Amino acid sequence: MSKPGAPSTGGGPTAAAAVAAAQKQKTLLHRLDNDVSTIVDNFSHLINVARVNDPPVRNAQEAFQMEMRAARMVQAADSLLKLVSELKQTAIFSGFASLNENVERRIAEFDLLEENTDRLLERIGEQTAASLKELETHYYSSLQRTNSQERMLQFL
Amino acid sequence: MEGSMKIDLDKLPLKRLEVIDEAGNEQFPPDIGYEEKRLKMVHRIDFTSVVEKDAKKQKSSKEAVGPSSWPWQSLVENLQLAQQELAIILDLINTVEANDAVTVAGMQRPKQLPHEALSDIAVSTATKLQRLRHLGRYFKQSSKALEQQVAREARFYGSLIRLQKNWKVKRQRVGLSGPGNESFTIDLIDSSMTNLTLSSQSFTISTVRVDHNPTGTLTVQLPSKTCRTLSVEFPGFHSRHKKKSFIRGKMLDSGHYTQADKKEALSDDDVNKHLQDSHLILREIHRSIFQEQVFDLINHETYNPSPGVNVTAMREDFLHLSIGQETSVSLCLVPSVEEEADSNGLASNIDNATASGDSLSLVVLDEKCDSFLRNHLNFPDPHSLEIFLKQLFHGNVFLKSKERSSSASRVLVSSQSVGSGCNLLGHFCMTIAHRIFSKKVLSVLEGLVQGVPYLHLLSNPTWHSRISSWSLSLKVPQSILHSNGRIKTSGSDDLKTRTRSQFHTKVVVSDDQINVSGEGAPGIVSSLNGNITFGCSINSYGCDLVDLPMVILQQVAGQVIQWLHEEALIIGMKASRDYLCLYLDLDQGETLGLVAVVDAEDLEGCISWWLVFDDGSLEEGKLDDGESKNRRFLGHLSLEALYSTLMDLVSLCDPGGSN
Repeated sequence: MSKPGAPSTGGGPTAAAAVAAAQKQKTLLHRLDNDVSTIVDNFSHLINVARVNDPPVRNAQEAFQMEMRAARMVQAADSLLKLVSELKQTAIFSGFASLNENVERRIAEFDLLEENTDRLLERIGEQTAASLKELETHYYSSLQRTNSQERMLQFL
Repeated sequence: MEGSMKIDLDKLPLKRLEVIDEAGNEQFPPDIGYEEKRLKMVHRIDFTSVVEKDAKKQKSSKEAVGPSSWPWQSLVENLQLAQQELAIILDLINTVEANDAVTVAGMQRPKQLPHEALSDIAVSTATKLQRLRHLGRYFKQSSKALEQQVAREARFYGSLIRLQKNWKVKRQRVGLSGPGNESFTIDLIDSSMTNLTLSSQSFTISTVRVDHNPTGTLTVQLPSKTCRTLSVEFPGFHSRHKKKSFIRGKMLDSGHYTQADKKEALSDDDVNKHLQDSHLILREIHRSIFQEQVFDLINHETYNPSPGVNVTAMREDFLHLSIGQETSVSLCLVPSVEEEADSNGLASNIDNATASGDSLSLVVLDEKCDSFLRNHLNFPDPHSLEIFLKQLFHGNVFLKSKERSSSASRVLVSSQSVGSGCNLLGHFCMTIAHRIFSKKVLSVLEGLVQGVPYLHLLSNPTWHSRISSWSLSLKVPQSILHSNGRIKTSGSDDLKTRTRSQFHTKVVVSDDQINVSGEGAPGIVSSLNGNITFGCSINSYGCDLVDLPMVILQQVAGQVIQWLHEEALIIGMKASRDYLCLYLDLDQGETLGLVAVVDAEDLEGCISWWLVFDDGSLEEGKLDDGESKNRRFLGHLSLEALYSTLMDLVSLCDPGGSN
């Protein structure tokens, strides 16, 4: 699926996907319009109902109407939110550019990590070898070792 | 009642005639009024039977109840009153129903006074205001709910995006494609590994569901007890350090999040923590999948056996291999998480479990070494073996397949190429065998170094898992001439004759082959030929573990002899060497021999020295006859002592020497 609104070049599946995307975009816009107009209509109705009539009757009816309008507005707002979350999902799952970018970034990161680890291991190896050498030299020039040598001499 | 009371209903008013006159005209009675009619009807009801009955009843009830009939009486009266009232109300209602309501309203309207109308409007306004206030509250409430929803979604999708940066997040629609029905899963399978067959186990844990908490944070469900890891342990001594798991124990109980869920307001830190935990769980699963794959690959490798490696036992998660005759290895997969969870409470049970052997994995057995300590010293660290195994498979299978799939022409940069004719498992087993063998070689070398005080053992890291190398260096003391700085002026241009400061013997163990190479010691063959080559000739021998001490000692002794020989030549003595003997020519054909005797079993020292005096009459074959006047045991001399002995000999020879 290509990004919504992408121009349909090429034929075959790309074109079909583009058509589907355009369709989806249209649906979303339609839903948006619907919801917004619902909110506006209901609000104007609400304002209308808020007027105090000259013959002060039909109170219960008006109250019921107000509640209904308010509920409709809230519902439309909720639907708008759902729309937003749907758009977010689309952005997350269909934003292939950013997805690929992420993958590239991760690859670079891991390459760097690998390189660093290799270098670290190399350095550790070198250091270990150096330390081993140093320790061995120390040992062979140490008192214990020379002592044993002296013991040999004394033995003679 | 109906049976006993007879009611005579009135005839139809049409039939009732009052008079019929002679002309036949009927005269109807005048219309009777409602009251009259009722009275008439009442008159016509015959109450006699009812009265009789009532009288009877009253009698009986009076007899039975007595004074308590009075409350009943009042109740009856009350009921009658109520019935009356009800009748009036019903009449009223009927009247209202019958009349037109509009006329009633219409009648009231003009009656309203201005202030009454105003008060009506005021009441209506107040009601409306009340309604509007109520609406305002409702709006506020729902706006708050919506705000929370927005915050939740922002939190969730923010976390999801951050997860997506590191993992492959998939969207699954359940049922209808309406929003809110989605569930998100994270796919952990490596799609580039298509050529590798995967066990069902890897598949089942490869997709992880992402849960949407009511607070907007996301949690990742851990498929508990399905995470298995390869780990390494020896029988007899269990690894002291537990396997490290990324997952902390508290994350495993589901109650962990409930406390956080109760709070409505979640700080960013909390969200970050949740996310971090999710990462850790995913990482753990990922690692487990990798280890499963490695185990599968090992299983596949066993189908093509490599030399010296035999499969002795096989189970779903267990593999027992024997390497050569002495060593055997078993590999298992163990649930890592379960162990972690259990370790909180039942440490002793785990010990039992590990002791029973069903738990952990890479086990190396050696029937020959039974003592704990020898085991511990002779076997390579199981953890490093485990790491090595994983690295091996990762480098040679995973990276290779990846590169093949990407058709990159880059040459595989592996730390080491696997030995020819061996598959990876064979390489691994050979590595274990080599490690064990090289440890034995090392202990032999250490013993030798202990016996020969002037010998230094130096390790040479080879960075190869199947090659080990050490060098034995022999540091000779500086010659007097050299220390006096006369070596250069003595005119010896020849580099070969120049004194060297140390000799080296290199011991290289490749798999189970020992190769000793060193300079300065003539081989036996060359000594037999009488064709002795001095100097930097490098000899190399292949030998086995039993011969190793002798070979090394001969080599070292030869080096010492060579050194002494060179020193003697520098001083100007007539010296010749024969294998491990140095002969100094004295006057009149007499020779003084310095003989090195090597004995690996000697605890005092492995190289001892003899002084042999040969006045020409002695045959070589008589060297063996006991302690004679011609032979003197010098003992285990140090190099300095040897050198001074040589110098003494020089002074001994000098008066009669040619120089």
